[in-house]
Amino acid sequence: MIPLGLRLVVSGGREAITRLMILTIAVGLGVGLLLTAVAATNAVSTWNGRNAWFWTGSAWAPPSPATGAAPLWWHPSGDTFHSQPIDRFDVAATGASSPVPPGIPRDPAPGQYYASPALVALMRGTPANQLANRYPGHLAGVIDDAALPSPNSLVLIVGRTPAQLAQSPDSIQVTSVSTTVPGDPGNPDREVNPHGLTYMPPNAGAPASASDLILSVVALAILAPVLIFIATATRLSAARREARFAAMRLAGATRAQVSLLAATESTVAGVAGVAAGFGIFFLLRTPVAGIPFIGAPFFPSELSLSLLDVLVVAIGVPVAAAVAARLALHRVRISPLGVARRATPKPPRAWRVVPLLAGLAELGFWAVRGHPASISGQVQAFVSSFALILVGLFIAGPWLTMAAARTLARWTSRPSTLIAARRLGDDPRAAFRAVSGLVLALFITTVAVVAITTQNAKGLTQWGSAAEANVLTDQVSASEQVAQNNGPGANGGTAVPGPAAPAGPLTAQLSRIPGVYGVLVVRADPGLTIPGRFHDLGVNGITGQVSPVPAGVVSCAQLATLPALGRCPAGAMAAAVPADGFNGPLSGIDATTLTWPAANVPAARLATLGVDAIDVGTNGSTPAVEEARTLLESAPYPGRSTPSTISDIVAQDNSTDNDYQQLANVVILVSLPIAGCTLAAGIAAGLADRKRPFSLLRLTGARLATLRRVVALEGAVPLLSVAAVAIGTGFGAAALYASEAEQHPMVAPGAPYYLLTAGGIIVSLGVIAATFPLLQRITGPEAARNE
Amino acid sequence: MTADRPSSETITEARNLYLSFGETPALRGASLTVQRGESVAVMGPSGSGKSTLLHCLAGILVPDEGEVWYDGQRLDTVSDDRRSALRRDRFGFVFQYGQLVPELTAEENVALPLLLSGTRRGPAMEAARAWFPALGLDGLERRRSGELSGGQAQRVALARGLVADPEVLFADEPTGSLDSVAGELVMDLLTAAVRTRGTTVVLVTHDARVAAYADREVIVRDGKVSTLTGAAP
Repeated sequence: MIPLGLRLVVSGGREAITRLMILTIAVGLGVGLLLTAVAATNAVSTWNGRNAWFWTGSAWAPPSPATGAAPLWWHPSGDTFHSQPIDRFDVAATGASSPVPPGIPRDPAPGQYYASPALVALMRGTPANQLANRYPGHLAGVIDDAALPSPNSLVLIVGRTPAQLAQSPDSIQVTSVSTTVPGDPGNPDREVNPHGLTYMPPNAGAPASASDLILSVVALAILAPVLIFIATATRLSAARREARFAAMRLAGATRAQVSLLAATESTVAGVAGVAAGFGIFFLLRTPVAGIPFIGAPFFPSELSLSLLDVLVVAIGVPVAAAVAARLALHRVRISPLGVARRATPKPPRAWRVVPLLAGLAELGFWAVRGHPASISGQVQAFVSSFALILVGLFIAGPWLTMAAARTLARWTSRPSTLIAARRLGDDPRAAFRAVSGLVLALFITTVAVVAITTQNAKGLTQWGSAAEANVLTDQVSASEQVAQNNGPGANGGTAVPGPAAPAGPLTAQLSRIPGVYGVLVVRADPGLTIPGRFHDLGVNGITGQVSPVPAGVVSCAQLATLPALGRCPAGAMAAAVPADGFNGPLSGIDATTLTWPAANVPAARLATLGVDAIDVGTNGSTPAVEEARTLLESAPYPGRSTPSTISDIVAQDNSTDNDYQQLANVVILVSLPIAGCTLAAGIAAGLADRKRPFSLLRLTGARLATLRRVVALEGAVPLLSVAAVAIGTGFGAAALYASEAEQHPMVAPGAPYYLLTAGGIIVSLGVIAATFPLLQRITGPEAARNE
Repeated sequence: MTADRPSSETITEARNLYLSFGETPALRGASLTVQRGESVAVMGPSGSGKSTLLHCLAGILVPDEGEVWYDGQRLDTVSDDRRSALRRDRFGFVFQYGQLVPELTAEENVALPLLLSGTRRGPAMEAARAWFPALGLDGLERRRSGELSGGQAQRVALARGLVADPEVLFADEPTGSLDSVAGELVMDLLTAAVRTRGTTVVLVTHDARVAAYADREVIVRDGKVSTLTGAAP
């Protein structure tokens, strides 16, 4: 029976071969995407492992065990170039047995450094006064890929003397290099090394559970449309296949034998699909590796499969195809006298809209009543609302399809609309099933993109004003308030004012950089404060407590060159400003409108005070910002953190969100065309079912354009309406989420979102239009002739 | 080039038609003249070319050679769009089976030619419903094709063929899939309807009892037409 099944597969004519090919493509796409998702999950684990050594010496990583090795002085710090984070580690070996960071043969000697390939390339392509001059010594070698999370990782290991690092407050001795990424970094309660540095690397990695969850949602959003596509493809030429099986039953085949025939055919498609799927996976591997799923691209070799993964897919998919075929055959009763089909399926009931309404009502309730106070309460409230809406859309879809189709059929005078609406209304479950995968993909991506856009917009206003965005701030010392800023690349610690000199020469050098229009040195005046509530400064956002703000002193002549940071009272020579130099705590206040309190510090004394911070006003161009940053980093001040502009901080703050947005774009780009393929397969199957009435309609004078409109409407109406409902609901949910959880009006996403969505829909419509030639062919006069 | 224009009494005419499907000849010099208001039965064995002749007369197929005239105009030389428009506006069709759109109700199926011609939904449905009592289909207006018997479905198809008040009704084995009782009922109704309206009928059948309903019978054999009864071909 199996050889007969195999012969039927290949000798069933062009229709059978076409069906086999479409099934193979559908299964191949599914397997290819499944393998890519599995490989991406594997790659995340590898990626995480490669981030682990960045956490060496951190308070959240376990302390080095006593190994007897000579300690290694370890000084991690962050750096930035054109808003790209650079992980920098200054090290000093105290003996031959000192641990060596991964990816380099030995610890660099003082005056040497190792850099990642991407950083080496960046340094070679950038003038030295904008980057390379920041790093002391010469390049000793390139850090091996095995130690880097990503091909574009910017990492630097600088050799120092033990004495140099021993004097630095942010250095620590370690006897081993960390091999795990902390589970909850940044949480003071989760510190496991009391002597560790409260330091967070710019490229911190992510807990595997979080990235696995995100990848699972992405995989589901992409795989759901593919699985529906496979299911729809199996319906192609089902009628002819079932008639053939009925003829076999008449000739004496048992039900089990017919079932085996069907399973053989599906297994062939499954095996061919698996082969195609592995091909698609290997084709996709390199481009997929370039997508920054988790903030950075993967090395293509990391997108790998274990032997178990390969075996499970290679064996599991054909077996699943065979089982599915047997189950599908159970649904139609094939007797020797033909195929007993179910009559028109029962229409879906109105209760199906209840979960959707409940989800919208719950979200509305939180909007009217206000969201829960606690973060966990908010998460619970919004997640449950979104989940209910999402599930509700799935459940209500068939009923909404039926209601819309029936209404349309009842009122339309156009025959094409009438036929299409009746078809959709006849089996709304099948009509909705073809596009249901889109609900998940478009709803999730719309909510994600809108929420991310809103959060990004809020980020800029949270950090500072637009006028301030390109002012480079170097926090030389750390006031108490600065110490609370534990952002990436920042160190906590005690306030130590910088030295008084030589601020003058540095200021002159900075002022000479093209694109720099002003320099402001914030001098330390211990004990000087700005009153609390001075333009909302010193107010604790959570407790509402008000406390004086540590202040520094600036020369009014210098402040006048940087109007973005405010102005002095008329006649004043010096003014008190936040000691941190405007790096963050102004929290969105536009300083251009502020008049700072006058400070009674004579000019002669001002020059003798230590330096708290240096602000450099730039035009925002990369050469100006990076040359100023390089000068500041090379200056003899013990910088507490990387000199940064508000733009840098916002870019880094938003980088993960932007990566997720890119991921959402991928989901849109993949799921829409697949939904188009599903619709096209469904249309092709429907055309085959109606071959005769359609061709007779054509004979009786119905224009081909009318029949084309039927096909277009049957495909385009579900696609466009489901897309509109999913996107609309997504926008609605995101708007409520933004106003409640983010406390910020919803910000509409940028043009790329609309272009991608429109592009995806156009591609889908193009796939549907690809069935038009089929329509023309199968409704030709010869199809209707009585043979 | 064109020969003499047919007389005004002639509504459709085939002159010396040749048509092959690949290497297989279907018509080999077939000629047939049908007068206005006449009903002609085209008979012949399977594969003789009778359906092909009907399709040529209806402008569905274009002959390789010969001329097809309709109402004083050459039909075989006009564009496909023009022939489609003629089929839609001037001709009606009844086929053997499978002509109803399965998703539409019986009344929507009947109304379809009117809707295709641009008639508004209300008048189209009203005109369609008017056919149901006359054809013994009362109460079946909302049924789908799958919920009708073969005879009922064929009567719905007949109503659809006549609803637009065509000048010529082409019927290709209209009772071929029915038993003799249902077939007779369909033919009785068809004959009564076309006589009342003066509709010309070209009826293809291989059943002599069905052919007997026509004013005249012709026989097609090996792609040529010969007269059996009535006027000359």
